[in-house]
Amino acid sequence: MAVTLEYERINISRGGRPVLVDIDLVLPAGGLVALTGASGAGKTTLLRITNRLLAPDSGRLLIDGADAANEPGPQLRRRIGYAAQGVGLFPHWTVGDNIAAVPWLNGMERQGRDRLVLEMLDLVELPQSFASRMPAALSGGQASRVGLARALAARPGLLLLDEPFAALDPETRNELADRIEALHKAQGLTTLLVTHDLADALTRATRILVLDGGRLVADATPAALVADPHPAVQALIASPLDQARRLVRLTE
Amino acid sequence: MIANAAWDRAIGMLPDRMAAHLGVSAAAVGLALLIAVPVVLVMAGRPRLRAAVLTAAGVVQTVPALALLALFYPLLLALSALTERLAGFGVPALGFLPSMLALTLYALLPLLRGGADGLASVPPATLDAADGIGMTRGQRLLHVELPMAAPIIIGGLRTAAVWTIGAATLATTVGQKSLGDLIFAGLQLEDWALVVTGCLAAAALAIITDMALWRVETGIAARKWRKAGLGGALLAAMVAAVLALWWNARPPETAERPVVVGAKSFGEQYILAELIASRLREQGLAVTVRSGLGSAVAFRALTAGDIDLYVDYSGTLWSNALGRTDVAPRASMIATLRTELPRRHKVQVAAVLGFENAYALAMQRTDAERLGIASLADLARQSDRLRLATDTEFQSREEWAALQRAYGLRFARLTAYTPTLMVRALIGGEADVMTAFSSDGRIAADDLTLLTDPAGALPSYDAMLLIGPTRPDLARRLQALEGRIAVEAMRQANWQVDRATDKRTPEQAARWLAGRIAEK
Repeated sequence: MAVTLEYERINISRGGRPVLVDIDLVLPAGGLVALTGASGAGKTTLLRITNRLLAPDSGRLLIDGADAANEPGPQLRRRIGYAAQGVGLFPHWTVGDNIAAVPWLNGMERQGRDRLVLEMLDLVELPQSFASRMPAALSGGQASRVGLARALAARPGLLLLDEPFAALDPETRNELADRIEALHKAQGLTTLLVTHDLADALTRATRILVLDGGRLVADATPAALVADPHPAVQALIASPLDQARRLVRLTE
Repeated sequence: MIANAAWDRAIGMLPDRMAAHLGVSAAAVGLALLIAVPVVLVMAGRPRLRAAVLTAAGVVQTVPALALLALFYPLLLALSALTERLAGFGVPALGFLPSMLALTLYALLPLLRGGADGLASVPPATLDAADGIGMTRGQRLLHVELPMAAPIIIGGLRTAAVWTIGAATLATTVGQKSLGDLIFAGLQLEDWALVVTGCLAAAALAIITDMALWRVETGIAARKWRKAGLGGALLAAMVAAVLALWWNARPPETAERPVVVGAKSFGEQYILAELIASRLREQGLAVTVRSGLGSAVAFRALTAGDIDLYVDYSGTLWSNALGRTDVAPRASMIATLRTELPRRHKVQVAAVLGFENAYALAMQRTDAERLGIASLADLARQSDRLRLATDTEFQSREEWAALQRAYGLRFARLTAYTPTLMVRALIGGEADVMTAFSSDGRIAADDLTLLTDPAGALPSYDAMLLIGPTRPDLARRLQALEGRIAVEAMRQANWQVDRATDKRTPEQAARWLAGRIAEK
């Protein structure tokens, strides 16, 4: 079941420097929300507050109306799908054990986990034989898919993706983005995706949040954002648009 | 060629020493592991603490192992005095405990570094993923960090094990049985069969242990559990063998504690210890000999009851046990020691054996006669034309300063040599005078003359049999040795074990010496 997120006046600072300032935000269930902005804008911090890898200095986060601070962190995080930046598969576990990590933490039996692994491999379109492979034998794109399968194995209502496309070649990147979009719809998820690349955000998301210096400076649909860009967003839009125009010119 | 008998004797000593060696090494590494594991866990994620701890462990590592072992002895004595006062029982200060503790400190650095480096080697993305999917700190440590760090951690353990097995040879100097017994005795007696056997055995232990741990390390890294298990089984078998040997060698519980005769680490001491041991055995006592004790350790071991008796020298006791810096005539030194040692240390002088092992200057007899030199005073008149060969220590010792003060000795040349080369220099004509010990076997064998000391500038070093507070009854049993060992007899006995050909064991030399005493 997709999840509703409500951020209420979230503030957090590190070493005296504000990282997020007064974030007030409601994300209704079912959105594919892209969180973007320049490096150091606070994107990853907001993502990590969402599954309480970080606690805000003030303000609160409600998940389906309940204060996230009231639940022990590890337990909360097992209900939230998380794909770490750089994937971070456990290199000493097989692909299958990686995928079934959260169900295993929740105490699911071996047989149930084995069945689930095959199902998840189908879901991310990897051969079932991959279950017994070690992560070192995977390509970058394959590892990203396994990371996605691990995030989804416990059937979360919320999926958090931290720069899922970093370090992938454009073709693989596109395939993975298609897969995420499809899974988002098929699994009925609320998805929050951090990316520093506005092109990804513009072409995939239903809603785009732009952070600048810890403040939320834009919150709009892709179409609205392109039509009437906030000054801080203009620079972010300019370069992908420019790239796109040059490509179009080349094909003419 | 080394005689077969020498090899037999060396190999006969092996099983016992090997078990003790492995035992103290395993105990030290085990204890170091028990300490290192919690410290590594606390250090993880605290870079400042980590740097401080690793620096401290690094400083310990720079202390030579021999010094570390020697330091633990007085430390434990102080601790023992403290527990005695507070809890009514002392802790043993000699043997197993100080060896194990010093070796434990030594093993800590590689274990701490391996642990810290291992945990630091886990990529941040993996840790983030572990946290993000909902592992608790404990689950992350147990299922992610430790398994990923295992190869580096075990690499540290390998280094620790190999270092410890090597350094454990030095445990002999604080009275712990080890393969060092063979090496130390062999070096002193120039019995190369002993040295080679001891070294090879220690090297073999280190190599086998390292190979076993290597199998564990690579087995874990490649997730080949059979291979890792085999390595672990080999280690377990080694420890089991040690335990079995110890169990077998353990004295029956009803038996009285045997008398322990101490000996410092040179030939004369080995011979005297065997002589005393056999006298006591003839009187129906159970006796063991603990040889190879460091010179500084022996007297403390006696007062603490770790050994029951040993032979020391008046000049040494004068400065070390009584803290005197002056030089007294031979007779008054002995008289003072006889009254002061019981009063201040509860140590009795059972017998003054009758010979000295003192610093002296020696010349070839033919040269001395030709030049008309019989005393240090004669030497002083001609010393500016003569060359002196000394051992490496002599020129920085108080004795040399005293000689220069008393006689105004000025040599044409001064050269320091190792003992063997020093004798060669004198015989070969590269030096005219050399430093010597008065009971050295070479004096008779090489036809040397010891120069007399009419001004009494050199302190005397009379051999004295000391009895500790634990077995005061032994004094009565051994007082018949008073004045019975003439310096010529001691020189001959020393020569029997020191010489390069037709070498005798200390036991054989002791038997010969006992015969000489009986004749008198």
